Amino acid sequence: MSATLLHTLYAGLAPWLALSLLLIGRNPYLSRTRVIGSLLLAFFLLRIPVGGWSSFAWCRTLEMNPSFTLTGLLCIALWQRLSGKAIFRREDWRVAWIFGAIAALTLYPMGLGLTSLDPYTWGWGPAVAIFTAICSTALLIRSNRFGVILILALGGSLLHLQESGNFWDALMDPFYGATSLVGCGYLLLKRARSSIGSCNHLDFQRH
Amino acid sequence: MAFPLRWLLICIAWLLAGALYLRTPVISPSGDFVEATTAAPSTQRAPAFQKTIVNPGQGLPMVHVASLATMSGGIEAAVWYGGSAECAPDVKIYLSESEHGEQWSSPRVIMTRERAEHDLGRPLQSVGNAILISESQGGLRLVFVTIAMGRWSGSQLNTSVSKDGGITWSQAERMTLSPFFNFSELVRNRAVSLDSGGWCVPIYQEFLGKFPELLWVNENHGHLEYRKSRIAGGCSTFQPSLVPLDAKSSLVFLRDYTDNRRVFISRSDDGGWIWSKPAPTQLPNPDSGISGLKLNDGKLLLAYNASTSCRDNLVLAISNDQGATWKKLVTLEHEVGSTFSYPFLSRSSDGSINLAYTRKRKEIALTKFNEAWIAEALDSLSKIQGEAPHP
Repeated sequence: MSATLLHTLYAGLAPWLALSLLLIGRNPYLSRTRVIGSLLLAFFLLRIPVGGWSSFAWCRTLEMNPSFTLTGLLCIALWQRLSGKAIFRREDWRVAWIFGAIAALTLYPMGLGLTSLDPYTWGWGPAVAIFTAICSTALLIRSNRFGVILILALGGSLLHLQESGNFWDALMDPFYGATSLVGCGYLLLKRARSSIGSCNHLDFQRH
Repeated sequence: MAFPLRWLLICIAWLLAGALYLRTPVISPSGDFVEATTAAPSTQRAPAFQKTIVNPGQGLPMVHVASLATMSGGIEAAVWYGGSAECAPDVKIYLSESEHGEQWSSPRVIMTRERAEHDLGRPLQSVGNAILISESQGGLRLVFVTIAMGRWSGSQLNTSVSKDGGITWSQAERMTLSPFFNFSELVRNRAVSLDSGGWCVPIYQEFLGKFPELLWVNENHGHLEYRKSRIAGGCSTFQPSLVPLDAKSSLVFLRDYTDNRRVFISRSDDGGWIWSKPAPTQLPNPDSGISGLKLNDGKLLLAYNASTSCRDNLVLAISNDQGATWKKLVTLEHEVGSTFSYPFLSRSSDGSINLAYTRKRKEIALTKFNEAWIAEALDSLSKIQGEAPHP
C-alpha cells in the first residue's frame, strides 16, 4: 500500500466517524438497520461530488492530518454509543478535554507567531513524543484510560499514518483543540455554578 | 484497569517513544552554509552589465515573483507565475532557460492548479510563488506555493523534483509546516546550500501574524526530510532574504510590515538557529520584497525599492560593514506610476550576478552584471560625492 493511499485512508477515518455519530444521533432505540444505515450513509455522504471533488477531498483540503487523539476519541464515542457500555468514564473524558485545552493553548498562539518561540518545531524532535509517553504513564498509573489514546498517537506517528511527520499533528488538530477548549469551558462553568450554588445554600442555612 | 495490563501499556508507550526518538532525523542547522565560501570569482575582469527580458511577449495579464537557479552545465533557469491575477485559478508556474543569461527559451508551463490538484489529491484554488533549487546530484527541485482557499493566508508549500533539466517533474509532495490546518507558509527568496548536502530555504508565514522562518530540507535516500525554525515572531517583518557571511554567521534582510517603512536586518552566528531581534536599517521599504547577496570582497549587495510608499523604482545598495550602513549604488529602474518589484539576486556559474525582478507586472526582467561593474559604479559614486576612490 502506497504512503499516499495510507494517508488518505487514515485522513478519511475521523470525518467518517464524526458524521456517523451525528447521523446516529441521541435516539436511545438503536436498531441494527439504523446503525448500519448511518455508517453507510456517512460513507456515501463523504463520496458526494461537490465541484468535481468528493466532499471528503474538500475535508482533506482543510485538514489532512486529523490527530490520533481526535480519531481515538471519536472511535470511543461511537463504540460507546453503539454498545451502550461506558468505555471512557467521566474522569477519562475530563482529562481528554483538559489535555487538549492545555496542548491547544501551548501550541496554537505561539505556533502562529505570538512570540519568537515556536513550539511546533519541537514536534520534529523527540521532545513532544517523550513528554506524551510521560503523560501516558502518569495517566495509566492513575488508571485513567485517556493514557491509552496517547499510546495510539505514539504508534500512529511511528507507522507514518499521517502526511505530517511532526508529532504535534499526531497529538493535536484544530478540531480537537477547539472541542477541548469548549469542553473545559463547560467544566469550569459547571464548577463555578456548583460552587455558587453551595455558597447560596450555606448563606440560606446561616440566615 | 488490571495491574499487569496497565504496566504492559506503559512499556508499550515507552517502546514507541524510544522508537520515535531513534527515528528522528538530524536535519537541524547541523550543516555549515556553503554559499558564503564558494562564491565563484567572476571570470570577466572588464565591467559588464546587460539587461534582458526573460518572457518577451508572453502576453499574460500578470506575471510575478521570479526566481533563478543555475542548472548543471551552467544553464540558467528562471521560474515565475503568471495568470489573470494573483491567487486566480488560471495562474500557472512557468520555466525558461538560458545558456548565458542572454537568450531565454520560450516559457513553458511546469505547474498548474490542475496538476497540483492531481498530484496532491485535493481541490486547490491556485498556485503561486515558486523557487528553484539546483541539487548537487544534478536534479532541480521546485518549491512552490499552492493556495487551498482565500488568498495568501490559505497557502501551503509543496515540492517537486526534475531529473531532466525541468522537462518532467515528479509527483508534487505537500510539506506540513504549520499546526493550524497547515496555513500559511510561503516561499520567495533564494535557498542556501549546506555542507551536509541539505538546503536552508527562507520562508515566511502570513496568517494571523507575518513573520520570517527558515526551512531546513534534506533528501535522505529519496525521502524528503524537513523541519523549520523561526527567525522572529509577531506581525512586523517577513519575506526573509538569507545572506551567509561565513560558514556559521549569516544575515537576513526583512520586508517591513510596520509603520517604520524600513528594511530590517537580523543576524545569527550559530548557523541560523538563534537570531537577533530584527532592527531597522537606514534603507526605506514600502512593504515590498528585497534580495541580498554577499560579494567576493565581503561587501553586501541589496536590491530594493528606495521608497516608503511605492514600488516605482528598483535600486542597488552596497554595504561595507555587514549591513550597518549603506550606500545607494545605482538606480536600475524608475518610472512614476509603474512597479518594479520582488528582486531576486543570485550568482551564476561564471561568477557574475543575476538580478531577476517583476517589471510593471507584465514582464520578468533580468540584469546580469559582474563585480567589476559594481566597483566601477562605486568609484563613480565616490567621485560624485568627493570621496577617496574605491580601493
